[in-house]
Parts: sequence; structure tokens; C-alpha cells
Amino acid sequence: MATLTLQGIKKRYGPVETLKGIDLDLEDGEFLVLLGSSGCGKSTLLNIIAGLIEPSDGDVLIDGQSIVRVHPKNRNIAMVFQSYALYPNMTVARNLGFGLEMRGVAKADRQRAIEKVAAVLQIDHLLDRKPAALSGGQRQRVAIGRAMVRDPKVFLFDEPLSNLDAKLRVEMRTELKKLHQRLGTTIVYVTHDQIEAMTLASRIAIMRDGVVQQFAAPQEIYERPANLYVAEFIGSPGMNFIHGELRRQDGRIGILSKTGAAGASFLPLAAANLAAADAAIEARIDRPVILGIRPETVTLANSSTAAAPHLASFEAQVEVLEPTGADTLGTLRLGADQVTARLRPGDLQQAGGTARFAADMSRASLFDPETGLRIS
Amino acid sequence: MERQNPWLSFFVHLCALLLALFLLTPILWMLIMSVSTTNDLTTIPLRWMPRHIDFHRYVELLTVAENSAGEAFLASMRNSLAVATMATLGALLVAIPGAWSVSRSPGRQRLALYAVVATYMLPPVALVVPLYFALAALGALNSVFSLAVVYLSILAPFTTWLLKSSFDNIPQEIELAAMIDGARLDQIWRRITLPLAGPALATGGLFAFLLAWDEFFYALLFTADQRAKTLPVAIADLAGGRVSDYGLIATAGVLAAVPPVLIGFFLQKSLIAGLTTGGVKG
Repeated sequence: MATLTLQGIKKRYGPVETLKGIDLDLEDGEFLVLLGSSGCGKSTLLNIIAGLIEPSDGDVLIDGQSIVRVHPKNRNIAMVFQSYALYPNMTVARNLGFGLEMRGVAKADRQRAIEKVAAVLQIDHLLDRKPAALSGGQRQRVAIGRAMVRDPKVFLFDEPLSNLDAKLRVEMRTELKKLHQRLGTTIVYVTHDQIEAMTLASRIAIMRDGVVQQFAAPQEIYERPANLYVAEFIGSPGMNFIHGELRRQDGRIGILSKTGAAGASFLPLAAANLAAADAAIEARIDRPVILGIRPETVTLANSSTAAAPHLASFEAQVEVLEPTGADTLGTLRLGADQVTARLRPGDLQQAGGTARFAADMSRASLFDPETGLRIS
Repeated sequence: MERQNPWLSFFVHLCALLLALFLLTPILWMLIMSVSTTNDLTTIPLRWMPRHIDFHRYVELLTVAENSAGEAFLASMRNSLAVATMATLGALLVAIPGAWSVSRSPGRQRLALYAVVATYMLPPVALVVPLYFALAALGALNSVFSLAVVYLSILAPFTTWLLKSSFDNIPQEIELAAMIDGARLDQIWRRITLPLAGPALATGGLFAFLLAWDEFFYALLFTADQRAKTLPVAIADLAGGRVSDYGLIATAGVLAAVPPVLIGFFLQKSLIAGLTTGGVKG
């Protein structure tokens, strides 16, 4: 049980700066996911917390104590590697007990700890096997067990699920979440998989080029992405971006989409957006903006949607319909932009024609096209 | 089960048979020679199968008597064992830390290993004169120990190279995991790295031993008498007299092959690789 603080972490390799000042503050028992595409510096950051890489600048604190100068074995952390890194020449039991053995824990105590962890992870029947005789999922459990057995202050996970097949990955994801709920240990978890990040994290830090783009709870990141990069990275299918200009029309402020084949549409902003950043919006009237709307906030317009003030309706051409079972993804053409809508199956029978849709503007985001930053 | 062309199968077996013949015939002939009488070996046309099995040469080579062939042979056997063992252990002692450091450090440090291995490419002739003068100046000619040191200089680059590729195959993450688990470097080596590199250590050791055991050129030039002569030189001496007893040479060859064969036999288990699978994905 511990808090973890990163202060101004920088890492330079010659002229290249892979981490450009990372500040993160974790409360006790948090599940932090470092999310980003490869090369964003997330693994470097994890290795710095583990002590396998020394930062060029900055400080790492566990429970308020700086550990930057502390040897990895004395940091009271445990790490699960992407490749599991089990000791191939030892049985599962020896693998689990190795850390305790190295710390001089008596054999009987070691045995008890191994059995306890093995029971939790349901690998007690595998204790006498060597890693080569285990399946991928079993190796994964042993690797987690090896980390658990020492009862560390912080768990570090480096893409632990990426070597498993799709089905097993989902299962292990759920188990990891259960495990975290049960142990309550602070976890730092690196992944490039946004679903893993969304499902597991108590807070996500999205990284890009060595900079944290946004550090917030998953739902917050999903609903209110800090910039275009985050908006694009999170969500599948991704957020729709409608390019247009902010205009005042009939006393309402809204986005006038760029003219396409179907003509321009005016999407008035909802009151929620306006209240949030009045001055910022006023300043941008008659200037280009990007409107971000999630596919599931776009629905087919009908008589009830027309009356709701937070819904902006527009006419669009339906280019493609892709049924996925639970819902049908519609690819719409709105002016120059393509918009994906998560529709109910049966909403539309076939692609090709035009239809009226309604977008929930209270859940929309507004971005500055130059800086990419969120306006509202 | 893959469908097999009977002709292909025949061809594969034929090749295997030819290879076996090619490899085994000289050994078989050596064994026959060592137990044939001198008459059988010198008649023309040659008698391929001996009329009597004659073990007297084995007795001769394994009995110690003043100024006998046996005394010289056994002394050289002892020297060879000492030289090869010292050189092999020395080579492993140098190669393990060397190979590990090169394998675990990125980029430029590797050049050092390439440079060292390049010396291995030099023909012995190029080094023999400076080595001779150096040993002479140190008063270290005709000594088992200095011959072992010379061999070490040949074996160390080769074993380092071999071990490096084996250490490369052990994922560094396993060592990092052990480090986080609290193991010191010596514990990591003893408990994890060296056991995993076991097959390579055995192979490297065996090859180093064989190289030292068979080396002739340096041994011929740097040794003078029974105090330091090794087996290859001693066997050559058997052929150097006025009358060459080919049977005796063959017998010495058979006996000289026994120690390496025994070592290979006992290392057999660890020579079979594949221990590292399973620790990481795949």
C-alpha cells in the first residue's frame, strides 16, 4: 500500500529526449495505466520507476520517500515483464519463491507464501512443473504470482497481456481487475491497448513523444479528451471530427460544417458547452474549429429528437452500413467530413440515401484546429 | 505425417551411410592397425584383416620402463592432460565474464570482441616467432604451464565468441527479473545465467579441450623433452625414428583418443541444448 509520485522525470539519450518532464501523482491503491503507441516513452518511464533505467532528471517517490538512488531490489516493487521472464531452469514453486529466497526468508515461511499465492492464482497444481511445460496463460499467472509473493508496495506491469491470444487476454484482464480489487496494491501498467487501459485503470496517463497528453480517469478521458490526439486515440470506432466554423445564427452559437455535396449544416452547441467556456467560445466566433462527436452520440432523428435542445440535427448521406450484431455502424457523409454513427440494428435498411440524424451536443467536444487543444 | 517419396528416403539413407563410412573407416583402420602384427602391416598386397589379434603394443605403451616408448608416451599423456585442462579452465574463466559483458552491453563495446576474434584469424606461423622469443626471454620454454598460457590465448577468443552468442539467447529480462527479486550479480550468474548457458559451456569447454589436445605446431616448437612434450608431438616422435612402427603409431592414436571421447561421453547430456525454452514467450 503506497503512494507513488513522479516529479519532472526526464530521460535523454544523447541528443534525443525520450521523456520530457513527466509529473504524475498516484494515491494509495490506484491503478495507473500508461497508454500510448510504441516509442512514446511509456516503457522507459516504467523502467525508471523500477530502477532499471536511471532518469536524467527528476525524482521518483514512494510514500513520499525518494527512491531514485535506491537499488531496484530495495525499492519494494515487483515487475511483471512482457515476456514473463520466468526462470526456465526452476520449477514454478522455485520461481515463485526466488525473491523470498534471495531475501533470506526461512523455508517454511517461503513455502506458506508460495502456497497462498498459488491458491489465489489457481496454479497450485502446477508448482512442480518447469515453465516450458506451461501454457501462455499459466506462465502469465506464474509471472504475476512471482510479483505478488513478496507483497510489494507497487506492482509494475509491462504489457503483460500482449503475448496472449484474444480470448485469454480478455479473461486475464478481468482477473487482473479482480486481483487489484482484492489486493488494493498500487499498480502501474503499461499498454498500447486502449481497451485494456479503459477497463483496468483508475486513471490513465496518455503519452506521446515523451509528454503526458492527459492524466485523468478513463471516463473523463473518453468524454472530455484534452486534445485531438487523445480524442483520436481513445474509442473504437474513433471520435468523429467535423471541420467547420464557429458561427452565431438566429441567436445560437454553433458549428457551420464545411460545404460538401449535401450543402452545409449548422450544428448549434448545447448549453452545457457554452457554460463551460464562454469567453473562449466568444473569441472564436467566425473562426475555424473542429467538432468532435462520439459515434454513439449520433442517432437517427425523429419527432422527439427535434424538440430536445441539446440535440443538433443534420442531414447526411448514408454511405455504408456495417452490422456488428449489437449495433450497426453507419458511415455518413457530412459536408467534407465522414462521420461514423453507432445506430441500432434496423434503424436503416440500406445504404445509399440520405437521412436526418441528431448529434448529442452536450457530449460533444470542441477543438482548436491550430493547437489541437480542447476549447470546450 | 508427411508423404515421403521412397526415392528421397533412399537417397537420404544412402547419404547418411556414405557419411558414416567416410567418418568411421579411418577409425576402424586405426583400430585394426593397432592390433595387427608388424608382418601383416608390411606385406604386399596388404592384409586388411589381421591373422592374429596382437595387443603387445598397448602393453608396450602403457608400461613404464627406463627409456621406453611407454615412458615417453605416458609422460606426454600426462602433459597433454595438464595443458588441455589448464588451458580449457583458463579459457572458460576468461570467457564467461568477457562474453557476458559484451553480450549485455550495447554497441561499441562489441568492437573489442571483434578485435579479439580477429587475432584468432591470424595463422599460428605469424605468432610463433614472437611467442618463441617472449617465452625464451622469460625462460619459460619447455614448460607445461607456459604452453597452457599460449593455448589460452588461442582458446579464450574462440570460447568468448561461442559463449557470447549463447548469452545473447538468454533474454536480459530474466536477469532483470532476478535483480528485482533481490539477487546479486554472482547469484544471478550461479542460479540463472550459467545453468541456462550450460550446453554452451559444455560445448565451449569440449571444443577448447579438443583444440588444446590436438594442437601440434606450438607444442612441437615450444617443448623439448618429456617434461613438457604433449601427445601429438610424442606420436610424431614415434614416426621419426629410422624404423617406423605404424602399428605403434595407430595404438598411440587410439589411446590418445580415449580421454576426449570419455569427456564427450560424460558431457553428452548437457550438450543437448534446448534448456532455455519456456522461460519467455513462445
